[in-house]
Amino acid sequence: MNIFVERGGITRRQFFKGTGIIAATAVFAGILGKIGIDIFKASDKYIEKRIAGLYTLDERMTIRKSHENPEIIQIYKEFLSPGEVKPLTEKSHHLLHTKYGSEIPELIKELEAHRHHAA
Amino acid sequence: MSEIKGKVLKHSEQTRTMHWIHLICFIILGLTGIGFYFDITSIDNLFGGSANASNVHVWTGVVFTLGPLIYVLFNFEKFAKFIDTITTFTKDDFGWLKTMGGYVPFIKAEHIPPQDKYNAGQKILGLLVIIGCILMIVTGFPMWLLRDTMPAILVWLCWKVHFWTAVILILAILGHFFLAAIHPKSRVEFASMMIDGYVDAEYTSHHNAKWFAQLKKAE
Repeated sequence: MNIFVERGGITRRQFFKGTGIIAATAVFAGILGKIGIDIFKASDKYIEKRIAGLYTLDERMTIRKSHENPEIIQIYKEFLSPGEVKPLTEKSHHLLHTKYGSEIPELIKELEAHRHHAA
Repeated sequence: MSEIKGKVLKHSEQTRTMHWIHLICFIILGLTGIGFYFDITSIDNLFGGSANASNVHVWTGVVFTLGPLIYVLFNFEKFAKFIDTITTFTKDDFGWLKTMGGYVPFIKAEHIPPQDKYNAGQKILGLLVIIGCILMIVTGFPMWLLRDTMPAILVWLCWKVHFWTAVILILAILGHFFLAAIHPKSRVEFASMMIDGYVDAEYTSHHNAKWFAQLKKAE
């Protein structure tokens, strides 16, 4: 049976078109890659500045730890655990801990009951 | 009937392998993409849930990029010839487009001009696929690797371009599938790309007369 096959080798025009497309794609990919890397670096720089800003703000604060805050200590001593600073009492648990998701309807009911009780 | 006997080797083994790889990648990418865009959980579940489907999408995207790249580097001669063919439009190609190659029932096609290895429609599809794939790649990778660092407007732009290019590519590929695998006039070419690479010489002498004349001259 007769089999027809393309002959090997390419013309000058085919060579230039092929290399042209490859070169254009490489340049295009290079430019986009460079932009991508620049964006990444710029973002890193921004994150570093933000971290430095947060640390500076924190260092400038007079009270830096919540458990050393005199107002919190006073609330515990006078109301949440009278006479002492004792976390996780029944009262503080109820007043300071919130609820999430499916527990919310129950919380609303509880608060409503409190309101009626207070009224 | 002419008396041309024999076969023409239209697509080499490596070309067919690359076509298969790209086809499989395209189907996976298209399916997972449609799943994400329209939030179709059943499609995501085919790939092991949303998170896995996302991983499958990006890593298939890597194969989708590397497949043709490796093919081009190892088959530069074929690639250069292909690019030359699909970027060369002569009056025969415009003549083919005027009659749509006789494929559209209500357009009269008494004389269809002789065509190259690829007819004018296939040339346009080839250009669409190359430009489309490049657009998908250059918008896909930033959305994967730079989505947290890129300005939001660029992510939005990539997303829009990625989506509309995908719509055009999927429609174009559906048309390509119909003409290559279903249409009675052209489906004889199906096996040449999907199986053994050969087309009947008789068929080629009609459908790709210019290319066949070159092949005969080279004999």
